[in-house]
This record gives sequence, C-alpha cells and structure tokens, in this order.
Amino acid sequence: MDATLFLKTAMTYALLPANTRASTTTFTLSMITDFIWNLPGYTLEFLMFNAKPLLQILILPGLAFILVFAIIAVWFERKFLARAMLRVGPYYCGKRSGLLQVFADFLKLFMKEIIIPKDMNFLFFASMPVLVSTLPAMALILIPFDQNWVLWNVGSVSLPMFFAIAGLAPLLPVFAGWAANNKYTFIGAFRVAYMYISAEIPLVICAASVAIMAGSFDLLKIVEAQQSMWFAVPQFLGFLIFFLGVMIEAERTPFDIPVAEVELVLGWRTEYSGILFGFTMMAEYVLFQAWTLLFITLYLGGFNGPVILGMTTASHIFWLLAKFAFIVVLIILIRCVFPRLRLDQMLNLGWRYLTPLAVLNLVIVLGLKVLGVY
Amino acid sequence: MSLLRKLLKPFFVVAPYVFRNSQTIAFPTERPMFTERFRGRHKLVIEECISCGTCQRVCPCNSIQMVDVPGKEKKFPQIDYQTCSFCGYCVEFCPKHCIVFTDLVEFAVTDRSKLVYSPQQLTEVPDLKEILPMLKYRTEKYLTKTEKKYRRVKEL
Amino acid sequence: MTEPLIPPDVMRVSWGPQHPMSGQTRILLDIDGERVHKIIADLGFTHRGIEKILENRTFFQGVIPIERMVMADTANIGLGYITAIEEALGIQVPERAQWIRSLLCEMGRINSHLYAFGLQAEATGYFPAVFLWTTTDRTLLLDLFEELTGARWSYNFFLPGGVYKDFPERFQEKIIEAVHYLRRRFQDYWDAMVENAVFEMRCNDVAVLKPEDAIYLGATGPVLRGSGIAMDVRRDEPYAAYGDLDFQVITEQACDVMARTKVRFKEIGQSLNMMEQIANEIPGGEIRARASPFMRGKEAEVLSRVETARGELQIHLYTEATPNPYRVKINSPTLRNMYVFERLAELNEILVADIPVVINSIDPWYLDSDR
Repeated sequence: MDATLFLKTAMTYALLPANTRASTTTFTLSMITDFIWNLPGYTLEFLMFNAKPLLQILILPGLAFILVFAIIAVWFERKFLARAMLRVGPYYCGKRSGLLQVFADFLKLFMKEIIIPKDMNFLFFASMPVLVSTLPAMALILIPFDQNWVLWNVGSVSLPMFFAIAGLAPLLPVFAGWAANNKYTFIGAFRVAYMYISAEIPLVICAASVAIMAGSFDLLKIVEAQQSMWFAVPQFLGFLIFFLGVMIEAERTPFDIPVAEVELVLGWRTEYSGILFGFTMMAEYVLFQAWTLLFITLYLGGFNGPVILGMTTASHIFWLLAKFAFIVVLIILIRCVFPRLRLDQMLNLGWRYLTPLAVLNLVIVLGLKVLGVY
Repeated sequence: MSLLRKLLKPFFVVAPYVFRNSQTIAFPTERPMFTERFRGRHKLVIEECISCGTCQRVCPCNSIQMVDVPGKEKKFPQIDYQTCSFCGYCVEFCPKHCIVFTDLVEFAVTDRSKLVYSPQQLTEVPDLKEILPMLKYRTEKYLTKTEKKYRRVKEL
Repeated sequence: MTEPLIPPDVMRVSWGPQHPMSGQTRILLDIDGERVHKIIADLGFTHRGIEKILENRTFFQGVIPIERMVMADTANIGLGYITAIEEALGIQVPERAQWIRSLLCEMGRINSHLYAFGLQAEATGYFPAVFLWTTTDRTLLLDLFEELTGARWSYNFFLPGGVYKDFPERFQEKIIEAVHYLRRRFQDYWDAMVENAVFEMRCNDVAVLKPEDAIYLGATGPVLRGSGIAMDVRRDEPYAAYGDLDFQVITEQACDVMARTKVRFKEIGQSLNMMEQIANEIPGGEIRARASPFMRGKEAEVLSRVETARGELQIHLYTEATPNPYRVKINSPTLRNMYVFERLAELNEILVADIPVVINSIDPWYLDSDR
C-alpha cells in the first residue's frame, strides 16, 4: 500500500464519527475525500483553461479596472480642482499626497448608519444605488480593447446592445427620487427624466451614422474601419454632438442639473447615507467611464495606434487607455471652467440645436457613402 | 465670432492656474508671521499695574474682573476669554500701558473653565514651540506679477 | 411665522436653513414644476437684539456690537454709528482721520463685493475657481487690515473723535502695490467669469427689475443702481472725505442679474481708484479729537446715512444726558432688498434653478437684516 492510499484512507476514517455502520457512509466519504485530495489539480486545470476570460473579468476591463478607475478618478478630480482653485486638495492622508484619502472616505461611509425616513419605499430606495452602479458596468464590458480582448462578445449587435443597457440607466434615478418621499429628490427625479429624453435622440442618430459609415453594428468592425482615418474627421459635427452627449449622459458639469447642489441638496441622492451614498458616488464615475470609452471607440479610433515594440495586444490596450486618460482630463477641465446650465436651456440645446445637427450629420454621411468616398 | 471667444477664452485663463502656487499654509508645521499690531492674547505686566480698574469699566463685553492675587494686597485684572472680543479698549485706555497684546491665538481647551485666565496666567507668555510642537517655520507673503507667494522667514 | 395656506396644484418647498446654499434663512417657494409662483421669506433666524444691546452700552462700548452686524464690511457700519454719535455729541473730527476712515471704508467695500462676486459664481454652479480666487485676493486685503488695525475682520478701528492709530511705516507704498496687483487680477476675473458664455446664459434677462418698480418697492444699493438709477449716499450727502475724492456712480441699463453683477464689479474698480488717491494725497495732522470714554451725551435726535456695500444704512439715534444712548434704530439695506426679492417672483417668471442666482444678485447678509 503506498503512502497516498494510506493517507486517503486515514482521512476517510478520521471523518467518520464513532460507532457508524460501514459501507455506504464510507463510500460517500471516500468520494468527498477524493475530491478534496484532487482539488489543487482541478483548480490548476480550470485556471489554465480559462486564464484569459478570468483575467478579463477580474482585471481588464472588469472589476479591477472599474474600481481602480473610480478611485483614481475621485482622487485626481479632487486634486485637479484644488489646484485650479489655488488649494492643495487632500494632503495629510498618505504622506502629503492624499492618495489614501479615497480609501479613508470609503471606510468612513461603510461605518455610517443608513437613515431610513418614515413612509419611504425602502425596497426601491435601497436597490437603486446598487443597480445604478452595476448597470453601466454591464455596458462597459462590451467595449473591445483589442481584436480578441472583448469580455462580452455578442458579435454583430454590440452597439445597439450598449445603448439598450446604458439607456436603462436614466430610469433608475427617477425611481430613487420618487421612492425617497422628499420634495427635493422629487424635483431631481423629474429633472433627470427631462434631461435624458432630450439627450438620447441626438446620441442615437450620431451612433447610427457612425455605424453606416463603418458598415456594421459591431464595435470591433467599427474600430477596424477607422484604421486609416478616425471618424472624428469626416463626421466633425457628430464628434462635437457626441462629446456633449457624453457629458450629458454622465451628468457632469455643465450638465449636472439633476444633482445641483446649490438649489436641490444633491437632487435624487439627497436621502442616501452611508454605503448607499458611496454607491451613488461610484455610479457617477462608472457611467462616465462607460460613455467615454464608447465615445473613443466610435470617434477616436478605439484601440488603433502605432504598435510599440512588436506587442500588438499590449500596445492596443495602451493606446486605448492613453486616449481615455486624455478625454477624462479634458472633461474635468471643462468642469473647472463653465457654470451649470439651467434645465430649460439644456432642453433648448437638445431639441433645437443638437437634434437638427445630428440629422445634418447623418445626411452628410449618407452623401459620403453614396459618392463612394467611404 | 464672440460666442466662440466666450467659449474658448475661459479655458486659457483658468488652465494656467493649475500650475501656480497654492495659497495654503499647512498649519501645524507652518504659521504666518503676524504684524506688530496683531491682537492676540493679552499680556499683563503685573509690577506696573496700579489697580485703577479702568480696563474693567471700559470693557464692552464684561470680560475683565479685578480679583485678589495671593501674595499682593491690591486687585489685578482677570480676563475671561469666553466673552472677550479682542477689541483693544483695555490696552488703549490703560494709563500705565501694562496690558499689551501678544500674537498667541491657540486657545483651545477641553474644559471651559480653563478659559478664564487669572492674573498670574496672563503674565506668562509660553513659547510657541511648547504649544505647537510640530511647528517648523514661519511664513510671510510677497507679491509677484501674477500670484501671491509665501516664503519661509524664520526657522524654529 | 404664520404661513399662508398652500394653494392647490402647488408644492411648497422650504429652501430652508438646512441647505448648502441658503445661508441663515428660510425661504418658502411655491413651485409648480420648475416655475416659482410665490416666494415667502422667513427671516429672523439670527436676531440678536443689537438695538437693545446698544441701549446698555456706553457710546464707546457700543461701537463693538454694531460692527458685528455684517462681518464683510464692518467699516461702513461702524462709521454710520460713529457719525451719528459725533453729530449728536458735537465732536469735531480732524481731516486726516476722515481720510483714513474713507480708506478703510473703501477697502471694506472691495472685500464685501469680492465675497458677493464669489458667491454669485458659486450659485451658478461654477463651484471651483472663482469663489476661491476671490478668497485669495481677500486675504491680501485682510493682511493690509491686519497691518493697519491689528485685526483681520472686526477691526473696531473707529472711535468717536477719530481713528485709533496712525499709519505704520511704509504703509502707503503697500497700499499702492496692492492696488496694482488687484487691478491685474481683475482682468482675469472679467475674462474667465463675466465674459463666459454659460454664465451669460444663466444671468442675462433673469429677474428684470424695471426702474419704476425699483423705486416703488424701495430697493437700495447695487440693486437700485443696476436698474439705471444713480443714487449713492456718497455722492448725495458726502460724509468722511468723500467730498474730496473723485469717483463715478456706476449704473447699468439692463436691469437684470448680469447688470447687478457688473455694477458690483465696476464699483470695485472705482474703490481701487479711490484707495490710490487716498494713499497719494492724504493730508497730515492729528488723528483723534479728545473724547472721554465715559462721557455723557446731551439731548439730541440724529439720522445718519452711510453707503455700505449692500446699500444705504440709516441710523436713527436718540440721546439724552446719560452715558448710554436712549434708543438706536437701525434701518438695514438687506431687509429692504429682501422685500424686493419677494416681489420679483410676481414681476418675472423665475424658475427654481434661478433662485440662488437671483438671491446672490440681491446680495443679502442675513445678520444684517435680522440685526
């Protein structure tokens, strides 16, 4: 009898309680011990077979990418805004740079009490922050980072899939604002509804014109069609409209009307406290990330760029992240410079200016397609 | 056209501010230099006081009381910093100029009765290094063409 | 306060004391969608009874509580009370003291207008930059105050009979250096803030107050001058060396929020000119006339008017032959401008998003209206 068989038998008998009948119990237990004994082998085989999807889910563009971006973006925005205001921003947490400040705030939010006012619909109220921060993440995983680095590869319908999922995102603040039984959140909720109704239409028309120029709805094929020239150049109008649309969808200044701190105390987010508030803060950044990545994929060439040192995958990922960082810094700078629009001015902008310009853009693309340029 | 100028010009005005000096003085390690006339905590020179009581009569906030001091016959002023408004009348109208201002502003205590300073406590002015052990240097401002900067004046 | 009944189809929101932008007041808004039907201002949260306090203090001691009415420009308010006392008791003030008083009043006015400008920037949602740039520039002025008077916010520099102390050495050069620095900075404000496309969208044609309405409702200060009427106490009844300084009364014809903001902005420029003129041309002489801190008054009734940064302040003083005044009645500018603010909802169509912008164009300081 060799050593492994001896040890396995010993384990089986060790798990048996005293004075039990043999045979079936022993057989079941020996199956269990067999499984536990082989577990490292099974795990290694699983990991080696599914290495790449696991890497994609956990690191890029999955969990780690979203969370790390949210943390870095909060820190960077606070520091950048502070420098524009001639202050220093977070200073003491983390040796004069404030890097640990975001963790400290997160930890503080975990430990706070969740205050539940009377007559509140708690089911809707508490489930909305979780949904509103995970739904844009579901849309984000459609974006291709390389030819064969797409986490959720739905093939030829990825662009409409993105709009379908991310288009549910505006509905959730409306529920949250109504469920909180508070006049301020109610005003914030119907402002969200007004804003998104007027902003979605130009966005969809511009995305459709990009799909027409590329000849397919698949995001991978759209990126491949931009290898010679980015779509920002022939579709300059669509580029500007989509840029404004990104800021509107992500609720950034100058369009952060539902969350206007000087009029309504944080709009639909007023009644949240504790970790639910932390989720709403994260939701803003996840939504921002999803729409900015889509913007880069449609208009700025996605992951195209010169290949560095012969590694195509790594250099594609690098170029996508570099463009992403540039657009994020630009949008934060726009926050520094402009005040906030009023709701009726934003509706005016959306219906009177953006929608006809988006249709004009579509006409130009159709013209270019007919003339055979593209 | 002017709409484009009004959209783009603010960028070029605000963006250089990111690269400028910040105006924060990191308090426990730096402290600004106050001027000579600065009104901080009072200091009493107890040998010159003639106990006339003018400071008590002139104080608008009723913060000064004349109290007994062990070891001397006359009464001397005690200042209650819960109500003192640092107006400077006691300093101005004292006939012997024995109450003066120092530049101490660190008063925080955890027990409110400690804010009533007896005449002996008013006579002694502790050193800054005892109150703020983390203090490293004092700063002063100066103006350049575009910004206001701070520089170290006195290392401690 | 007893609030009127809520009409049907209207939601009453309390823009109340627990709010990031309301200040120390409560304003009830009757809202229908985004449109505001009625504004009811519920003042009185910070009433401290300053008029009663002044009856229990002597003349010299009374200067301290009254300066804490508005902390941003304490000089103007203290000057109002002191000119009333000097007129009631017959004290003559030397000329150099009057010029130093004007210098402090103008510096206080710049301080207050910068603060109001920064709050206006914050109210339109422009939360970064401009609000804190104004704080930075105000620290420059506060350092000048500290050098002259010893305190940064509540200086108590004026006494009945003159001022407390003379200029320290090289102070006039420092004033001129600060004036040149601030003039360079204000070009940045004009480019980044006032000539900003989105700021103009928010502020043009909002809450228009026509000239006849302004006079009928009793507006004062920049609210009145933004509607085109040139009334300024420094020009109409000069006090404290304003007769010798040359400045212009700024008016704008547009009558909206942008006009009031521009009036405040250009008044800062006029104040800087006045500061430079004072630093160059101040006469010599004594700085204080003799007045005892325990003096008794005589029977008199005096009304004194000064122009603070928010408008015209009137102090009606009754004295008798006692060390304390008999009665002091303070008529503050913010109280009258809040009445104008309430009526603006009936004259114009104001949305909820406009409320902070309009309030900060009126520039209230709630301790001033509640005394």
